[in-house]
Amino acid sequence: MLRRAVAVATIAFAALCGNRASADDILVGAHMPLTGSLARSGQAFDEGMRVAVQMFNARSGTHKLRLRVIDDESTPAKAVSAVEKLVADGAVAVIGGYGSNIVGPASDAANRLDTTYITAGAASDELTKRGLKTFFRINNNAGYQRGMVGLLKSLKPASVSIVASTKESPSLLAKGLQRDLSAEGVKVTLHEFDPAITDFKPIINKVKLQDRPDALVMAAYENDYVGIIRAARILKPSVKLIVGAWALAVPKLYQEFPDLMNNVVGASFLPFPVEIEDEEGKGFAEAYRKTYDKDVDYHSTLSFVETTILAEAIAKAAEAGTLRTGGLTEAMRTTDRKTVLGPVQFDATGDNPRFSVAMGQHRAGKIVLVSPRSAATGDLVLPARPW
Amino acid sequence: MIELLLQALFSGLLVGGVYALVALGLAISFGAMRIINLAHGELVLLAAYCAYVVEARAGLDPYLAIPLALVVVTLVCTAVFLMIDRIRDHRELNSLILTFGVGIVLTNAILLVFASDVRTTSSPVLQDATVLEPIYAMNGELIAFALSLVLMVALWWWLRKSWYGRAVRAVSSNRAAATLMGISPVRTELTAFLVAGALASFAGVALFTMSVVQPALGHALTVKAFIVTVLAGVGSIPGVFLAAILLGITEALTVTLASSALQELVGMVLFLLVLFLLPNGLFGARARRG
Repeated sequence: MLRRAVAVATIAFAALCGNRASADDILVGAHMPLTGSLARSGQAFDEGMRVAVQMFNARSGTHKLRLRVIDDESTPAKAVSAVEKLVADGAVAVIGGYGSNIVGPASDAANRLDTTYITAGAASDELTKRGLKTFFRINNNAGYQRGMVGLLKSLKPASVSIVASTKESPSLLAKGLQRDLSAEGVKVTLHEFDPAITDFKPIINKVKLQDRPDALVMAAYENDYVGIIRAARILKPSVKLIVGAWALAVPKLYQEFPDLMNNVVGASFLPFPVEIEDEEGKGFAEAYRKTYDKDVDYHSTLSFVETTILAEAIAKAAEAGTLRTGGLTEAMRTTDRKTVLGPVQFDATGDNPRFSVAMGQHRAGKIVLVSPRSAATGDLVLPARPW
Repeated sequence: MIELLLQALFSGLLVGGVYALVALGLAISFGAMRIINLAHGELVLLAAYCAYVVEARAGLDPYLAIPLALVVVTLVCTAVFLMIDRIRDHRELNSLILTFGVGIVLTNAILLVFASDVRTTSSPVLQDATVLEPIYAMNGELIAFALSLVLMVALWWWLRKSWYGRAVRAVSSNRAAATLMGISPVRTELTAFLVAGALASFAGVALFTMSVVQPALGHALTVKAFIVTVLAGVGSIPGVFLAAILLGITEALTVTLASSALQELVGMVLFLLVLFLLPNGLFGARARRG
């Protein structure tokens, strides 16, 4: 009797599962660094993607997306095998990871498998020079560069020191900044460092005693920012401004390191407390807070936008009946949309040439957008250093 | 230029002290058991997160976390030792694989509990600078360096003077002969492993007070400790300290005189050069003769 009941229950469960996999149930794959050195960013990306899918499914009548995320453990090899596994399991597209050195080989694999690949976590210029047909990207070094150079130009510094990680994106960003600022007549000294470095005092001491710059620029990641600013706090170089790139002007860094972050400036999309003008952004912020009990941040906003763009292109291709016959890539190319990050359009290389960031300043727990003028929510406080 | 060099030498000295602190535990388990504990960096990291818990959650000075770190790390060390002790064949190779796996489990456990955020002390006292113009240091670094010196002397004394210390040296020198002298090799190895765990506990707490920690750091710590241990030569505790200082100063001078991008590369070149010219490490051969 018991066996029979178990058998009936099993069949019923299988039938229910089968129903879920209907024709409109579309699998979207993603690989993210949920563990490993990039896990902090990967987890934030994961949250933004999930909210985007949840919101898309709520408003879509006919097409429901099912998201499957594989942890690439912050390694390129795992990311490649994740892409292969997801495509083999029927994913129509892959949302891709964090870090240019990981996204590069993973998007190569997706292109080889003729599968659309979108990322908001890899800013290297090299990625769009490969001529991949299925590769799309929301953000790029050019956008970060524009935002940082715009702020620095407005301050007219005589000299700038750039402290940059030798990882691909920070290194390319640093070289781009060096080129653009030098062209403006600014004396630029570049100090590249190995990502394994833990003591930044010898570098900052060179900045202090040899460079004597007006501004200290960082092209790096969270743990580097903390190390660099802490070394600067000890040695106190006479800079007027400390400015960084991605993931610096985020509320969490201030909450955890208030003594290191106050007044520091970094690339940002939104002020904090979050003020979002458009309806979609407000809906995202509300759904995100409901799901994760916290405010949206830099990474989750990026992944929300990339996932929403992809979801809409999937729906468009599915309506046209070309989802599995190459129509998705074409649908992506027709994207022309205003998002919470600004306008998104893809050029022939899959890049979004309209990407640009504002610059936000940590100010006693708030983030004030200080540049460009059109996006500013307040004036830059100088000297912009935490001590 | 003199100012730059002085700061580089001093920073290198302090960083070297921490390298020594991290490497001492690995050196003792490597010396006594001929086992490279690839989870050693994760044990250090576990202790660092104990310090984080005590400071951030309990609002206490992170150095008060040492008893908690000793308990937590000792428990994990005991479990790891019991697993290693069950290996019957190809002990060196299988223990490498086992401890590598333990390291991955510990990293992910830390990630699960503490998320991937970067952590460091928020204590103003530890973060403040001590200035001896033109040299600057963070108070946390100076304390960590002093702790490293004290622990090195204590470990050296323990190995030379205590019965268990001498037993560890005897097992390290000749396991079979030590057994014939009435020394239990298993108990001795467990002792050495727990001492290594205790050293990792101190190292982790010190690391938290002077640097930034995150779940993925354990592997890098193991690699650094391994480089220092091999550079020093197996069996030499003062050698570990001197090799660590040499590595720290070499790295800091590379940043100052050449490029910061070359820091890790130069450290590795030094390591390979020493291995090529002195296969027993800088102090290994002399220690064995002694």
